Amino acid sequence: MKGDLVLSKAHLSYWLRQLRKEADLIGPLRSTDGDIVFSSVENIHDIVADGPANLPCQKEFLFPQREEMYKFSPKGTERTGNHKKRVIFGIRSCDVSAVGLMDTFYGGQYEDDFYMERRKNTSFISIACNTPDSSCFCIGLGTGPFLKEGFDIQLTDLRDRYMVQVGSAKGRQMIKGFGHIFRRPKKADYDDQYEANLSSQSKFEKRITLDNVRRKILAGKVPDSFWEGVASRCFQCGGCVYQCPVCTCFNVVDWKDGGGEKGVRMRIWDGCMFKGFTKMAGNVWPAEQIAARTKRWYFHKLLYWPGQSGKFGCVGCGRCTITCPGKIDMATVANRLEKKD
Amino acid sequence: MAGLASAFGSGAMTNSISEIADARVIFVVGSNTTEQHPMIAMHMLEAVDRGATLIVADPRKTQIAAFAHTHLRQRSGTDVALLNGIMNVIIGEGLVDINFVRRRTENFDEFEKVVKRCTPEVAEKITGVPASDIQRVARIYATEKRSMLFYSMGITQHVTGVDNVRSCANLVMLTAHIGQPMTGLNPLRGQNNVQGACDMGALPDVYSGYQKVADARARKKFESAWRRKLPSAPGMTMIDMFDSALEGKLKAMYIVGENPVMSDPDTSHVIEAIRKLDFLVVQDIFMSETAELADVILPAVTFAEKDGTFTNTERRVQKVRRAVRPMYGAMPDWKIISELSKKMGYDMGYRAAHEIMEEAALLTPVYGGILHHRLDAFGLQWPCPDADHPGTPFMHRKKFAKGLGTFNPIEFTPPDETTDMAYPFILTTGRLYFRYHTATMCRRTATLEREEPECFVEINPKDAGRIGLRSGNFVKAVSRRGEIVVKALVTDRTPEGIVFIPFHFREAAVNLITSPAVDPVAKIPEFKVCAINLVPVIPKPGERPKNRYNRKEDLKILNELYEEPEVPS
Repeated sequence: MKGDLVLSKAHLSYWLRQLRKEADLIGPLRSTDGDIVFSSVENIHDIVADGPANLPCQKEFLFPQREEMYKFSPKGTERTGNHKKRVIFGIRSCDVSAVGLMDTFYGGQYEDDFYMERRKNTSFISIACNTPDSSCFCIGLGTGPFLKEGFDIQLTDLRDRYMVQVGSAKGRQMIKGFGHIFRRPKKADYDDQYEANLSSQSKFEKRITLDNVRRKILAGKVPDSFWEGVASRCFQCGGCVYQCPVCTCFNVVDWKDGGGEKGVRMRIWDGCMFKGFTKMAGNVWPAEQIAARTKRWYFHKLLYWPGQSGKFGCVGCGRCTITCPGKIDMATVANRLEKKD
Repeated sequence: MAGLASAFGSGAMTNSISEIADARVIFVVGSNTTEQHPMIAMHMLEAVDRGATLIVADPRKTQIAAFAHTHLRQRSGTDVALLNGIMNVIIGEGLVDINFVRRRTENFDEFEKVVKRCTPEVAEKITGVPASDIQRVARIYATEKRSMLFYSMGITQHVTGVDNVRSCANLVMLTAHIGQPMTGLNPLRGQNNVQGACDMGALPDVYSGYQKVADARARKKFESAWRRKLPSAPGMTMIDMFDSALEGKLKAMYIVGENPVMSDPDTSHVIEAIRKLDFLVVQDIFMSETAELADVILPAVTFAEKDGTFTNTERRVQKVRRAVRPMYGAMPDWKIISELSKKMGYDMGYRAAHEIMEEAALLTPVYGGILHHRLDAFGLQWPCPDADHPGTPFMHRKKFAKGLGTFNPIEFTPPDETTDMAYPFILTTGRLYFRYHTATMCRRTATLEREEPECFVEINPKDAGRIGLRSGNFVKAVSRRGEIVVKALVTDRTPEGIVFIPFHFREAAVNLITSPAVDPVAKIPEFKVCAINLVPVIPKPGERPKNRYNRKEDLKILNELYEEPEVPS
């Protein structure tokens, strides 16, 4: 593709170090306990660029679990801003696609200031995934393992070098002035990239196309009893919602101080899987039964998202598969629905 | 604890969580596993998916009971009769593992005499469980090799708590379902570190690793390590402490991370006892109902602000590492205690948690090889006697911790309080999924608070119809000790004659009415059985219905204690 570049792995840390001068660099780091977490990079050599596919979700950086919105006091309110520039390195293709979905939700018909402010200040350097694990199914949704568009910069690991693809103005900004470390790709580079892509595709264990599932639901072939069966396994832990890179629900709460006169208005993650999420005045609980809630979650992702934006509200990252204690995650349910007549 | 110790010589889950998924029979007695131990329930459901048989004995129809192939709904407080009935069938039908009983256990004959009397028909009369179900469960449990037995507070929180546990122990020994993987007797411990607290000797009669205070040799070891003379008599249990405080014998109390005003039975009695004290110190992470009464409050840190270990229900000692800086000068519990001790003239001289662990390993045989540097990946399961030992996934393999396992002959005894004309309902208390214990923590979380905002009483539709109650109506729950007002929730989850109230809510603190009766050995209160009456609160014509719980006049004693909680709305 026109504009593609090649970066030697030896030059990666130099490049990132230069980028870090302009913005906060976030990357996957191995904590002392062996877990990989995304956090601010102190030492560039600590970045785990070839880690597993199931990394923590980047949602935290655009839509924090707990976000201050306003400070209030008898004098008035004050909007809390977040203008920190960030470069997030090392997220996978599925999560880049998820950011795209988040953008259509928070930046679509109603623009969410808090999200958009963070989004504007954040650029991504993503890695085309060559390490899918048993829970991944992005391949069936076209949200991975490598992307044709929607990324800022996409790197493909070619053993001793990266293929660098630039997909947005933010991406171009990040390579500007670094002509001395990037070079134009040769045929051998494209061959290696093609091979990397093929090898990635062959590693997927799950082949799920949600289209069939959607059609089945629309054709009325999925009775409520199916959802009751699914819901009977729901532990209401909210793990699916909190881990999902596409789930956007939040609740607004006030943290009061000094006798309730001043405080902070916060928004915190919420989940439609909770009974109280739709609680109404007069003690009305519209979705009191768990079945109604699990069904709504799946319908939102499988029917309402495609209805509104043409894309499924799922990117196949497989995090719910790893998290769900009741084994009623998207992949499992979709598989069961697909087999169902 | 005491029950298991007398049967096996050691009190903890005998087997491991990872074995559950491969079990063939899972027998759950008195545990609301899906709500209270969801991660363990996950393994149980996995086993069910793989074809295991799930048996649940619980008067309430809990979520786990909905998955059960057989659900035994015994009357509250009749577990001994139920288990004796099951064992009677096992003995009667020749399903006993004679080899195991001869080689590994003692006192079988005495035990057999008692069980022989409790035929399934007798058990049916006492428990209300059909004799045919008892027979079926006995056959399923005894004939399958990989049968795991689980129990929790539904077994222990009775005046017969220790008897209940011993009966469970009898059952696993009778069928040799112990000492092998995918078998065993598995008490599910609630809190993240309640097992660890017991292991470290936070009990009145033992040092760490269940070494008896009364044992002169053990005492000598601790005396030489701590360079102090130690008392030879066991200390008091919590219940005894409150009693003697009330009598004026106990003058001061130091409570660490507990909220007895909410969690102990007969709240008024507890508060009265605390008021009698000359001096009360409470060490906790948040303000609690008990801390309100304290003379001194010592702020401790939360789990995320400290280093150390937690021991989970399967005896696995796991490391916890500080993730955030302690707030507002709060200190880890060990530091508070050692600073205090220094001020009182004994310098413990610890500089970090791993130094304490080193001492614990030195003095505690079962923790002998458990040192911080070995715990990094998955932790270790005790018994782990030395630094090369890989830990023990299942216990009592070749012999029991005390040598031979002991059969304890247990006769059924009814609960302390029985129903009568004035108090016709059995009240059983318990917990809710979105609430944790006395709610000192979860009440500060907006989402959890929203999920279960109100206290309620679960009542069977037939009972509700009889007293003219509908869901959402206010009802007064009256016992011999007091009364509270709660909302009714009409549901068939609870059987006829039994009602259920969660204990997390201070505006309807159910422990104002629970029975102070305790097990004579373990001193665990009988939270699961108390006789009450329900009186619908009907507003008079023209009067506006009460729209909140117990007003000041109803709940004088608790209301004096606190202002409205600062809850994020």
